[in-house]
Amino acid sequence: MTKRTEHLTAMATQLRRDVVNTIYYAGDGHPGPCMSIADILAVLYFDILKLDPENPKWVGRDRFILSKGHACPVYYAALARRGYLPPAELKTLRSLNSRLQGHPDQKLTPGVDATSGSLGHGLPQGCGMALAARRRGDETLTFVLTGDGELNEGLVWEAAMNIAKYKLHNLIAIIDNNGKQSGGTVEVISGLYNLPEKWRAFGWYTVEIDGHDIELLTLALENAAKRGRASREEREGMIILHGMPAPHPDQPVIFVAKTVKGKGVPYMEGNNAWHKRVPTDEERELAMSILGGKDLE
Amino acid sequence: MQGLDTLAEKDDRVMLICADSLLAMRATEFVEKYPEQYVEIGIAEQNAAATSAGLALEGMIPFFATYAGFITMRACEQIRTFIAYPNLNVKLAGVNGGIAGGEREGTTHQFFEDIGILRTIPNMTILVPADADQARQACIAAASIPGPVYIRLGSGRDPVVFEKDTPFVPGKINVLRENGNDIALFGNGILLPRLMEASEILASKGIGVTLVEVHTVKPLDVQGVTDVLKKCGAAVTAEDHNIINGLGSAIMEAAAENCPVPIARIGLRDKFPGSGLPQELLDYYEMSVEDIVKAAEATIARKVRS
Repeated sequence: MTKRTEHLTAMATQLRRDVVNTIYYAGDGHPGPCMSIADILAVLYFDILKLDPENPKWVGRDRFILSKGHACPVYYAALARRGYLPPAELKTLRSLNSRLQGHPDQKLTPGVDATSGSLGHGLPQGCGMALAARRRGDETLTFVLTGDGELNEGLVWEAAMNIAKYKLHNLIAIIDNNGKQSGGTVEVISGLYNLPEKWRAFGWYTVEIDGHDIELLTLALENAAKRGRASREEREGMIILHGMPAPHPDQPVIFVAKTVKGKGVPYMEGNNAWHKRVPTDEERELAMSILGGKDLE
Repeated sequence: MQGLDTLAEKDDRVMLICADSLLAMRATEFVEKYPEQYVEIGIAEQNAAATSAGLALEGMIPFFATYAGFITMRACEQIRTFIAYPNLNVKLAGVNGGIAGGEREGTTHQFFEDIGILRTIPNMTILVPADADQARQACIAAASIPGPVYIRLGSGRDPVVFEKDTPFVPGKINVLRENGNDIALFGNGILLPRLMEASEILASKGIGVTLVEVHTVKPLDVQGVTDVLKKCGAAVTAEDHNIINGLGSAIMEAAAENCPVPIARIGLRDKFPGSGLPQELLDYYEMSVEDIVKAAEATIARKVRS
């Protein structure tokens, strides 16, 4: 394991630990959906995204939208560990007058670029942000992390058409493809299957990837980010992953990241009861014994 | 959309977002002049509203323009959660407002609930211009009002009410006539000419009328409205909207809290309309000049009794 992967793996574990503690103290929240994206967020927030936590509104920053807003405990943890918030503040999640609302609030929380929580809105918001970045003519990127359950929403596919139509190569989308939504599997609940084929049919360059392979995620997202900042000429022939043909220079890129809901805490893994549930004292202890790292201070 | 041209000329943050509504908005000239400031979403209003939110997050001033009902109903949640909640600078321009605006298209294109829907959402400003020049001015004014603004437009063939460049001051009532204090008439939009005619008839009968245009339904000029109510002691409201939760309701709420006096509402009486010619529709659905005159007389009678 490289030093870089080692560091990101440690950060992902820290985020998972923070999620268990945050939801335990808050007495409410969605742990399962947080755990499936902990590795992706660690890679983005501790390696890929260009950010300045001292200056959250810096115009030259990369934008990030957590479209699946109910997974905000892990998002807040990433922001805290990246220096936007004191980690102890995570305990205030979902309480009166907290900056950490039950779903992300762009006006309240430093580092949150877009309000989310009502599902299916990250891609259209990202479309607007990427169009604005193109008008500014700068190299900022817009990352959108969406669940697979929220792809039930028709609005997502409306935005998929527009982002491809406007050739927004500066927008990078990631699907947390854990296969489960609140009431069961995505296929059974909504009949949504063959995700990669669907995105290809909508004109997107689609990369299937293991959403828990930190080394591979880092490599692929780094390539996507480089390509996102490159000129059209430079983009010609730029690849995302070895063994795959390069995207057309005008195509937006989406990662279909295979993940496991609850990943990292064995009793949560694949168990949809943890979509929304608070760990008991014993469950918390067990999780702490598995997940290393620091407490919420 | 002449106002948008004026804005775009001075400010390149001003953008037009369409949901295949370019022709309906008569905005082809804008696109020819400012192609970089135009985004075509296609027939997908939720997406248009959420994309406008994204643009506004980055400092743009998007004007999302299409049919009033497709903005306020199809994209209602996007407006509420992703535009109004973060108080973003998105301007919404809705055509075919009211039953006269939708006219021959029928109920699917007649939007008489739009103001009521948006009035319940915090941070919204709601402007109801009466004619093309006021619409132009409302559009220009909207750009300098912080946060989301809804501009309720008609069919674009509405009768001219005001001379060009008659001052339009958002947030304030506009007293058009003060012929006495027997009754106050409050109204806006396409019903304004009818209110003017009704006030002439009432005056000819010796009834003193104060005629007030309320183009800003939200935030309502509560002080201005209260002052008129105190002076007149009775009022009629008139609007091309459902009588529920439009201007009439707003005036009645202000009256109930500040100056309870008899008030009658003229508007669509909580039913679905249908196809027809604009003026004929307004007559048929009880928004005629005669309806206004009768309502005024009946309300004055209530005032005398009490």
